[in-house]
Amino acid sequence: MTSLKKPSAALVYLGLAVGAVITLAPFGLGLLTSFTSAHQFATGTPLTLPRPPTLVNYTNLGGAGFGRALAVTALMTAVSLLGQLSSSVVAAYAFARLRFPGRDGLFWVYLATLMVPGSVTVVPLYLMMAQLGLRNTFWALVLPFVFGSPYAIFLLRQHFRTIPDDLINAAYLDGATTLDVILHVVVPSSRPVIVTLMLITVVSEWHHFLWPLIITSGTKWQVLTVATAALQSRYNAQWTLVMAAVGAAVVPLLVLFLIFQRHIVRSIVVTGLK
Amino acid sequence: MTARRRSTALGYALIAPSLFGVVTFLLLPILVVVWLSLHRWDLLGPIEYVGGQNWRSVLTDKTFGNSLLVTCAFVAIVVPVQTALGLAVGALLARDLPGSGLFRTIYVLPWISVPLAIAVLWRWILAPTDGAVSTVLGHRIEWLTDPGLALPVVSAVVVWTNVGYVALFFLAGILAIPAEIHSAARIDGATSWQRFRRITLPMLRPTMFFVLVTGVISAAQVFDTVYALTGGGPQNRTDLVAHRIYAEAFGAAAIGRASVMAVVLFVILVTITLVQHLYFRRRISYDLT
Repeated sequence: MTSLKKPSAALVYLGLAVGAVITLAPFGLGLLTSFTSAHQFATGTPLTLPRPPTLVNYTNLGGAGFGRALAVTALMTAVSLLGQLSSSVVAAYAFARLRFPGRDGLFWVYLATLMVPGSVTVVPLYLMMAQLGLRNTFWALVLPFVFGSPYAIFLLRQHFRTIPDDLINAAYLDGATTLDVILHVVVPSSRPVIVTLMLITVVSEWHHFLWPLIITSGTKWQVLTVATAALQSRYNAQWTLVMAAVGAAVVPLLVLFLIFQRHIVRSIVVTGLK
Repeated sequence: MTARRRSTALGYALIAPSLFGVVTFLLLPILVVVWLSLHRWDLLGPIEYVGGQNWRSVLTDKTFGNSLLVTCAFVAIVVPVQTALGLAVGALLARDLPGSGLFRTIYVLPWISVPLAIAVLWRWILAPTDGAVSTVLGHRIEWLTDPGLALPVVSAVVVWTNVGYVALFFLAGILAIPAEIHSAARIDGATSWQRFRRITLPMLRPTMFFVLVTGVISAAQVFDTVYALTGGGPQNRTDLVAHRIYAEAFGAAAIGRASVMAVVLFVILVTITLVQHLYFRRRISYDLT
């Protein structure tokens, strides 16, 4: 039995290692290239180490407006996160703990909107923003995402329903308002699911490309994804610079992921990360 | 005010922001896109009613037909391959050997990374003259401009991105199978392959279904990867339907025609979702704790 098991463990590691190399190699090569001078890149191969490693590609990104793009992306993510989380928390509380006519019907409407695909709504949303005169503004970037997400509300509602009645009633008896109850009883007792939702929101906001691409123009409200795509088409052959742009777009998110990776891995499985 | 009326007012006050968002940014756009499909608009000028003209022109348009076919082919490559590989990786991770956690983290990296940036990264790796693959192989291959290669290559990049993510679901599914079932089978003399085939796979059916359906729905909407890798080319061989809608709306400034395509895509995706929901609702309940 044990003699059968040992080679099998070795095979498992072999399979896992092959997978890891296939996964990591493109990142590694791209990162190396981003630290290589354009001159060395033109004369060497992608497998040679940058000699000496240089930050010139990253400093050149500053000239291409990437500092601003990073700030816009961070702001967009922060505003959407704040708006989405607070709107979702209060709505989930109402759906989970309050009785009011139309509650269940409305909740079904929320659930049904989970089926609305983003690739279908961009064209009408573009018209709506144009009519409101919001094209190429910061508000156009965040408005569709800032008012809470049905998915977040669904997840939070599931969780809020499990909070013991006594805990909430005791707070009310002490004279707390509903807002107090939400902030000081409900939110603290739901920390894991809220952290999960925050991470999901940050990742999906950071990924946004199609909507910012069509609703903004020029560099004023350009986000990192749009800036990277623009740089790629403008400096098609300058791969060292383009790889630095990829690094700038990806690395902040990967750092966040590595810090919170246990949470994120768990969140993905729990929520299907929509 | 009675307690009941206060509760009603409070309830509506609390859901007001999200209700506004749901109605304005999820429900209203569906009506607007249907309305737009009956109009002509070039993004700048006035909006004119044209009746069924956009519908007739799009439904007889070879380019749109091609996009639907390309999307079907893309889904037919990506979903089975990423599911099979995800299952294999999930099964390897489920052995829970020392270091499995590290591998799990590594495999999810492509999926966490920004899809647009990943596509740009691969565009360099596959670049014919100075890309990583060509330099290593020592000869040029037109990965993204050869009409026969482009779609399989774009599919491969998407599979590369998704495998680790899919594997997480299979990993969770496998770990949820009670250990007693496996040990009982082992006592009865079942080999590990037999146990995988007769126990693990059947018990993973709900996971499999979830992974397949969400895989189809997200693959049918891929945009960023195609935008940055091929721009829909060569000869529209990678012109996925989400990219066609974008090109029609913001390249050709034919918003009405793009809206028809969006409505068609919407109907297809909602049908898939409803069918899976009806088929599945009694069989699965997710425990969210």
